[in-house]
Amino acid sequence: MTDFWSFLFIAVLLANGICLSLPPGNALTRLNGAVSCGLAIVLLFYCLPVLRDWDQSHDWVRQAMFWMLAAVTIGSAVGTISMRSPVYCAIWFAMTLLATSGLFLLQGAQFLSVATVILYAGAILVTFLFVLMLAQPQGLAFYDRISWGRRTSIVASVAGALLIFGLLLAFVGTPEDNDRFPETEVTQSSFDAKLGQKADDKEQRGHMEKLGRELFSRHLISVEIAGTLLLVALVGAIAIVIQSQKPKRLADSQEGARGDG
Amino acid sequence: MDSQLADLQNFLVIGGLLFVIGLVGFVVRRNLIVMFLCVEMMLQGVSISLVAWGRYHNDWGGQMLVIFIITVAACEAGIGLALILSLFKHSGSLDITSWQEIREEGQPAFVDQAIPEETEEDRVWPKLTPAGIEPELDEDDLAHRSKV
Repeated sequence: MTDFWSFLFIAVLLANGICLSLPPGNALTRLNGAVSCGLAIVLLFYCLPVLRDWDQSHDWVRQAMFWMLAAVTIGSAVGTISMRSPVYCAIWFAMTLLATSGLFLLQGAQFLSVATVILYAGAILVTFLFVLMLAQPQGLAFYDRISWGRRTSIVASVAGALLIFGLLLAFVGTPEDNDRFPETEVTQSSFDAKLGQKADDKEQRGHMEKLGRELFSRHLISVEIAGTLLLVALVGAIAIVIQSQKPKRLADSQEGARGDG
Repeated sequence: MDSQLADLQNFLVIGGLLFVIGLVGFVVRRNLIVMFLCVEMMLQGVSISLVAWGRYHNDWGGQMLVIFIITVAACEAGIGLALILSLFKHSGSLDITSWQEIREEGQPAFVDQAIPEETEEDRVWPKLTPAGIEPELDEDDLAHRSKV
């Protein structure tokens, strides 16, 4: 059921849900927005293609896992942009990251799922929360409650709906109609067994070993550049913080000199 | 439909949705931290798409790029949060409209819309559940204080 009008309806419903749940608005409006978003997500999953071969026993479990994780991802994403307190936004984003990690695991990217949880949710998000603690301890400020007003929310949601609809248009119709997605020779079993397996490699290696062999051979220069980038960012962040504290120290030292003299 | 193609389509839609929701959030919100969170959400959407394409083509390249996306996002978060702290120190709030006046010397102001004022019906505070037990008050004590 992947046709033009159903995708348009889903885009409109999702935009309506997002627009109602964005900042200016009371609890009832936001509840309406959440219900509309949930309806759009359910309809979207009804429209997305299901796996064709149901005879393999593990396939329906995989599809159910995908639906659950995808629903949690999209719901948490809408929750991130619509909360009044920025701490709640950060916590919803952590939920989004956990669901994204599950989606990575479904795709066979085991290292990435663990790396997302450890680095993104465990380090970057905690840094965000630290800055929130230092910079906005009270929450529910007026610029969070009304943001840019109702008009901007409507216009942004319409633009988002158009973008989603445009992205979904690539999947309209069956694959035999258009040749954008040619048949691939990769099947489930060949993918699991042979991801990253070179043609001349005889022994079976684990996921981390294959990822390491790929990362440090084909992408070695990128690894070195990434390390340098991290060093530069570290030095830059410290320099910014020191620079922002300079005038205060200068004023203090001048005051001290006047007091002595 | 080929099951690999169906898989790819599912994950691409989710990645695209995450990107668009992040985009809408970046445009709509005024808080610097929440805008930054929406940028990170856009990066997550792209990561999902990359991993899906990598699986479809049986290629490691998607996952490699996601590793570097995580690295760059960490650097960006470090520097960005240092800058946000400096901005907060100067202006006292995390609002970006407090920095709307930054422009060159002779440049006229270009403002898309006026900053919305907060009306009375916007002031919705969260409802707190009452905690604790109300103490039993002596009626005579309330009317006339026996001791001071």
